[in-house]
Parts: sequence; C-alpha cells; structure tokens
Amino acid sequence: MGTASVAEQEFSVLLNEQAAEGIWRAKIATPVAASIASGQFMNLRVPGDGSHILRIPLSFKHADAKANTIELLYAVVGEGTKRLSQMRVGGVSTLVGPCGRGWWLPKTEGRALLVAGGVGLPPIFAAAQQLADAGIGFDVVVGNHTAERHLVKEIDELRSMTAGEVCDCERRVVVCTDDGTLGLNGFTTDGMKELIETRAYAQVYTCGPNVMMAGVAKMAMEHGVACQVSLERMMGCGFGACSCCNVALAKGGYALCCQDGPVFDAQEVAW
Amino acid sequence: MVSSLSMTVDLGGIKMRNPLNTASGTFGNGVQFEGFYDVGATLGAITCKGVAAEPWDGNPAPRLAELPSAIMNSVGLQNPGVHGFVGRYGAYLAGLREKGCQVICQIAGHSIDEYVRATELFEELAPFASGFEVNISCPNIAAGGAAMGATPRAAAQVMAAVRPHTSRPVVVKMAPHDVAEIGRALESEGADALSLINTIPGMAIDINTRKSRLARATAGVSGPAIHAIAVRMVWECAQAVSIPLCGIGGVASGADAAEMILAGATAVSIGTANLYDPTCAPRILAELEEWAEDQGVTDINELIGAFEC
Repeated sequence: MGTASVAEQEFSVLLNEQAAEGIWRAKIATPVAASIASGQFMNLRVPGDGSHILRIPLSFKHADAKANTIELLYAVVGEGTKRLSQMRVGGVSTLVGPCGRGWWLPKTEGRALLVAGGVGLPPIFAAAQQLADAGIGFDVVVGNHTAERHLVKEIDELRSMTAGEVCDCERRVVVCTDDGTLGLNGFTTDGMKELIETRAYAQVYTCGPNVMMAGVAKMAMEHGVACQVSLERMMGCGFGACSCCNVALAKGGYALCCQDGPVFDAQEVAW
Repeated sequence: MVSSLSMTVDLGGIKMRNPLNTASGTFGNGVQFEGFYDVGATLGAITCKGVAAEPWDGNPAPRLAELPSAIMNSVGLQNPGVHGFVGRYGAYLAGLREKGCQVICQIAGHSIDEYVRATELFEELAPFASGFEVNISCPNIAAGGAAMGATPRAAAQVMAAVRPHTSRPVVVKMAPHDVAEIGRALESEGADALSLINTIPGMAIDINTRKSRLARATAGVSGPAIHAIAVRMVWECAQAVSIPLCGIGGVASGADAAEMILAGATAVSIGTANLYDPTCAPRILAELEEWAEDQGVTDINELIGAFEC
C-alpha cells in the first residue's frame, strides 16, 4: 500500500557528458545507490529554473552500492533534461527515491531476451546486470533510429558481460537501426523475431517507445513467453501521491506507473 | 529560543495543533510521505484523497501537463470507494489521530444521492475521521464535482443533504469563483468551515496535433502560479462568512502560508508543493512559526485576517 521507503537524498555530479546524438551519460554520487533495485527509478530536481517545478524521473544503468554511485543515461528532450545536461561536475541537488517496482527475475528456468529501444537502454542494461548476477543467460536486441544514437560503450559492455552464462548456445547482442546505418536494417521487433523463433526463452524484458513495447509484448505473448515492460509516463510526484501517471490495465481500471510500476507484466497492461 | 507561541487553531471544530493541512489529491493518504518526515507528529491535519461511495476509475492518460510555475491535472478522482479506502488506509489514519494529527476524509460524488451515500458509509466505517471535506469543486469529472458547486443554490443543496448524516465537522471544498456568495450559502446550510480554492480550470493545447496536452480538453491548474489568485479569493470569502477557512493555492513557503492567514485563513493546506518538494511541510511550519514570532504575537490566531488595507 505504501512507499514509505522513498526518501529525499542529495546527489552530486561526478560525470556528465554527451554519449551519443541527443543522449547524455552521467554518474552521480548519492546514498540512494545503496537501496535502489534494478528497474526502479529516481526523481531528480534540476537546479536553475524555479518555474520548472516538477522533478525529472530517470531510470538508471548501474548502481554501485559500495561506492554510492549511480550511472545514468538520459535523452535531452525538454528544458529539464537540457538543464540536467548542463550541470557541471561537483554540482549538487536532490533526488527522491528509490521509486517504484523494478524488474523481477524470471519465474521459470531458462534464458531471457532483452529488447531495448532508444533511451530505453539504461533499465535494460540494469536488467542484464541483474540476470548476469543471478547466473541467468540472456540475449539482447538494441535498436535506434540511426547509428549516431547508439550507445557504443554500453553495447560493448553488454557484449563482454559474460559472467554467469549458463547456456551453451552463443549469447547474442543484436544491434539494429531503422535506417540501416548500423547492424540489422529494421526495428527491434525484427531482431527479436529471429531470436524468439529459434531459441527458447523464459522471459522477455523490454523498455523503449510505447509502440515498440506493444509490439514486443505481443510477439512474446504469441510465443508464450512471459514479458516484463518498463513504462514511461509524465509524473507529478513519483511515489503514489497524485495519481497522475496512470496506466490502463487489461482488466479495466488503472494502475500508477510510479508506484505499481514502472515495470509491469505485459499481460496486465491494456495495449 | 524557547517558544511560547501557540499554533493551535480550530477549523470548524477540527482542533489542529498547527494550521498546516494538506490539499486533497496531492498527499496520497499520508503514508506515501512517511519516508520524508513523521506525518503524524508534524502536520495539524491531513485531508485525504477524495473518495466516493463506490470505486471510480478516474480519467484516461495523460492526466498531467507542466506549465510555468504550475501543473495541470485531470485525475478525475480515481478512488477505491469508501470500503476500499478504509480497508487500505484506516489503520494508518487511526495511527495519525493517535499522534495528534487530525484526519479529514474527503467526500466525492456525481449526484446529491452519491454524496449522501458516501457520507453514510464514512460515518459507519471511518471512526478515525476528525471531520469531512465535501468536494463540490472537482473540475475533472463529467457529472457532479464542480457542477455541484457552481451556483450558491446547487452548493447549498449538497450541503443541506449531507448535513443531517454526520455530526462531525463538515468542511466544503469550493471552486475558484463567486466565493463570497457561495460561501454564504454554504454557511447558511450548516457548513462548519470552507476550504478554497480548488484548481482553476485551464487548457493546454499541443499546437502541432491541435489536441489537448491532456486526455480532456480542460483540466485544473495548480501550483505557485495561482497563489495570488487564491489569496484574493480567501480574502473575499473571509469577509463574507463567519465560519473558518482553510486557504489552499500554491503554498510553497512559510511566507505563502502567512499570506493566507493574513487574508483570513485559519488553516493552510499545502498542495502541489507536496509533489515536487515532498519534504516541504516541516520547513513551511518552521518558517510560519518564525514569522509569527517576528510579528510579536503569542497566538497564531491573532494573525488570522490581520491583513490591513
């Protein structure tokens, strides 16, 4: 019922640089690193414009509980994320977190298939790490409009993430672009199709544009594979106080993205 | 310094340890804020999310847009119904009462019958409620809501219908218009206190798609941008009625709360600021106390309506 563990914490910027076209990579120092789980998010206050009152909800790529640091990747899409991209090393502010419900491990044995579209990559990266830590094998599909938007460093890291591989089949990271400038010329669902038709999976994890996730969820369900989706909504608070970030449910009615999600079982969602 | 300042106020029979309350819909039902501060030990009262007799789904997405120094919402009173509400939050809210924080349950309805039914259910199931706030001003529902509070006559009818069903204090949440006239009508039908203002209906249009930025064409504007309007309406209402008022609208600092009190508010609710600055209430309370001491009073009540014009 409650999210009483959500608290306000300070953060300071350790790194903040452009990673790809329209995408920034940041590292922050914050105590929330010790308690945040894979797939959860934080709600950041960005200083510099008092008239922009709402915080910015951001998922994360990696949290280091020992070092108290969190690695972020974010798209600069509006005034708030633009100001975030202008925060300098040493800059301080506050965040609210850890927010929401994150990824869960597959409920049955077997490999996982991870599908990331655009800036949906950071939470998918966190899921990959969670699976690797649990010794669960996985394949990844990473898609973008064009090569310039691909996060090359993260793709390389996914390729080298071998810890805990339990499957004797070759692990694959499939890169695709809508315009064919890198990897497979097509959507993530095209890359996913080949994998899901040839390999057995226990779980699909996906994050990206809503229309992509709808396609991924549909394909997973058609193949009888459980699917977790990390949804994005405009948020007022991030911790269940305002009911602004509703997600329509298949059974009717709404859940709240910030409190009941952002990770949902794809079957629960009304696509 | 050791303070001899009394912050206790009486909102129409709801005895609050200090004037700070929360605006319904911006505070969940309190428990969501327990990680930020001790709600029961801090606030004078909380006003819970509006609840109807039966569960409501609320409006489709998107329900939120951001504006300069404001937000717009069209949540549409999504709620689990009185039974669901009491089951989920009753024990927590009873605990708040034990800590000295008053609990105001908000009543929503589409019709007079629904307001009455919800009041009856609350009476029966919510012994923890210090009082009720009747919401006749939600701008985001198709029937009832703001329509019920749009005229003095309609507002008075709701109040008259609800009044016989509870002996606990009844506050009425007012729409941001005709507050003097409607306030008088509510007072004459037995309202114990009034709270104002609810959000101001507005529009935000996506010029590329030519559609609303929210799922509905109009939605309620709240936040610091509406504070001055809310202070003016509290002042107008205070001059028209003799029952106490709870001032709501863009309060984000002790100074904002102090303005509400000077304009005539007995209590002050924090609304939108809870969302973006969830630790603000203890700070606002400290700032308010500091202001009252600077004003040289020993009782915050001396400052209610002390605006000089």
